[in-house]
Amino acid sequence: MTQAAPRQRRIRPARGRVAAITGACTYLGTELCKRLDEDPRYDKIVVLDVRPPSLPAAAQSKLVFFNVDLTQPTVDDDLAVLLDREGVDTVVHGAFLSHPTHAQEWAHELEDVGTMHVLNACAEVATPRVVMVSTTLVYGAHPANPNFLPESAELRGHRDSRFINDKVRAEKQALRFARDNPGSRVAILRFAPILGPTVSNMFTRFLSRPVAPVMMGHDPLMQFVHELDAAWALQLAVDGDAEGPFNIVGKGVLPYTTVLAMMGRVPMPVPYLAARQLFKALWATQVVRSPPSLLDFLLYLCVADGERARRELGFAPRLSIKRTIYDFLGLRPEDDATDVAQATG
Amino acid sequence: MGPDDRDPEGDAADPAVPDAGWSEGWPSEHDEDVYLGEEAVVPPGEYTHIPSRPHRNDDVELRELERRVESQRTPVYPIDARRKRAPASLEALWEGWRKLAMSGRADVVDDFGRDPRTTARWEPLLELLYTRWFRCHTTGLEHVPAHGPALLVANHAGTLPYDSAMIVHAVRRDHPARRDVRPLIEDAIFHLPWLGPLVNRIGGVRACPENAERLLQRGELVAVFPEGVKGMGKLWRERYRLQRFGRGGFVKLALRSRAPLIPVAVVGAEEAVPMLGKVTWFARSVGLPYVPITPTFPWLGPAGLLPLPSRWSLRFGPPIDLAAQYGPEAADDRLLVNRLADQVRAQLQQMVDEALAARGSAYR
Repeated sequence: MTQAAPRQRRIRPARGRVAAITGACTYLGTELCKRLDEDPRYDKIVVLDVRPPSLPAAAQSKLVFFNVDLTQPTVDDDLAVLLDREGVDTVVHGAFLSHPTHAQEWAHELEDVGTMHVLNACAEVATPRVVMVSTTLVYGAHPANPNFLPESAELRGHRDSRFINDKVRAEKQALRFARDNPGSRVAILRFAPILGPTVSNMFTRFLSRPVAPVMMGHDPLMQFVHELDAAWALQLAVDGDAEGPFNIVGKGVLPYTTVLAMMGRVPMPVPYLAARQLFKALWATQVVRSPPSLLDFLLYLCVADGERARRELGFAPRLSIKRTIYDFLGLRPEDDATDVAQATG
Repeated sequence: MGPDDRDPEGDAADPAVPDAGWSEGWPSEHDEDVYLGEEAVVPPGEYTHIPSRPHRNDDVELRELERRVESQRTPVYPIDARRKRAPASLEALWEGWRKLAMSGRADVVDDFGRDPRTTARWEPLLELLYTRWFRCHTTGLEHVPAHGPALLVANHAGTLPYDSAMIVHAVRRDHPARRDVRPLIEDAIFHLPWLGPLVNRIGGVRACPENAERLLQRGELVAVFPEGVKGMGKLWRERYRLQRFGRGGFVKLALRSRAPLIPVAVVGAEEAVPMLGKVTWFARSVGLPYVPITPTFPWLGPAGLLPLPSRWSLRFGPPIDLAAQYGPEAADDRLLVNRLADQVRAQLQQMVDEALAARGSAYR
């Protein structure tokens, strides 16, 4: 954008804000609803989903629910009318799948095309603030990844994973949207795998089983973010005005086999090529619910650097990876628990 | 968005728990169901800044305050309420298995994956190699700074990174500050099954500019082998002839991070694994740059990869302070970078030649 073009920016009011949330039934969406409901700066929370989030009545005093299905072909028109009528100034787009699904066509409609619909509607009404939820999986596990991926790293995705590539495409749309609509401040939050006592996603499902596959001879470093830290980061992004992509990651890393050992899971070493063929067959016959492409994340590193979020968003994770794992298991940390600061200091 | 998106038990049961609200006061430490985790350290001074009644209309100040409190707060869980209990016998079995699985590994690793417990476990083997097997003679350790970043630039040889292990061990053992050197490891080794993760656990870092820059920013000692795979794959007849120094990446790194370069001449690694030939046509298909042919490998199987007991000599040279002569912008001058890289190479070649002449017989 050249300087000559006037940047028409609707400024969000300090009070009386109206936020719209897609995907309010996901962990992050529900958590954000709760937090915004308590926040005196927000007057109304417009919930756009196919079903209302399960919240106690006390926590939805400001919630207005609209049944919106992002897979419908003309939903962008309806959304634009809705956003305009309700006076929405903050759109949080979180309607992404937390588990891979065999209904890949539907997933594509929801994630990739659904993002297009939401962004079209935002462009139509010139929403001042747009926050999108993404994951660090979009960087892809690649042998050439540095130990800490910055936000500027290439979004490699995965050569044959629709689950990841849909998210990459959604992100690219959002980046294009940010470029073409200087009036909107767009933030994209790339969350590391979220673990915690209440959240349920593909990582918690994977790590809940007693046995976990290990790619023979490979042991990449893993990174998680605690569910509370993740929700807090989303709230900070919705409140603030920081723009661009942000990695939302937890404190510290651990090797994959150490994660399994801490959780008391039994590692099952499998040669990568054999595991790939096996999971391909299991995926094709719909026996497992995870595509074989996710095995690459057990082979190579995909760890992101949270420095930018700390600097510009004011988000510094409070909970170490060890504490995150212990909370996920429902264990108290031991008294002599060592923390990351001691190992790196 | 699917029906199974949220854990049904964790959901409605306890909605307010993660955000109990700091204004309601901290729960008692003696309460059985809650704990304040290890991060729950709020400096006492922090509270004195919190006014009991915030300014009424000052939203900004209130938000800042909330943010500050939020960043200090450690959430509290009634853990036992959430835990799905298994039968006691299974619990005990699980506990036992966890203890067994965690033996020999630490529950905390540093940012680049070094596991202190694994490192300690392999230390005796390195000591054996250093003192008994290779009989390393190390000089010039006084040139290694006691603190602050520095880039150790060494020549490379041997199929497996024995030379980086010996440099790391020499500095940790004989330098008065007992500093840890982080060697940068080529992809060919770093992604090898079993060996790669082991090298990573005991301190090796994948060689790429981003990693090196981050390490130097943290003030660590970083060992680089600018010859890379070309240096590792030298044949016996080319021994101790330094190869091209990559594209001068280490010079750029030193200029940008203002860290001094310390040349390290390693003599002995060539004789430890004398490479008579290498096979490349077969190696590509298994993801290796080459398969070495040594007097013992592949004839003796994996045991053939053990090094021969050559006599080693490590020489740390006086630091080359590029930062004193050039600014950080010099890193973009490619001709200059290349010239500096070649100067360092010539100096290191000379050090290697001297050390080689001083060592005498290779195996005695």
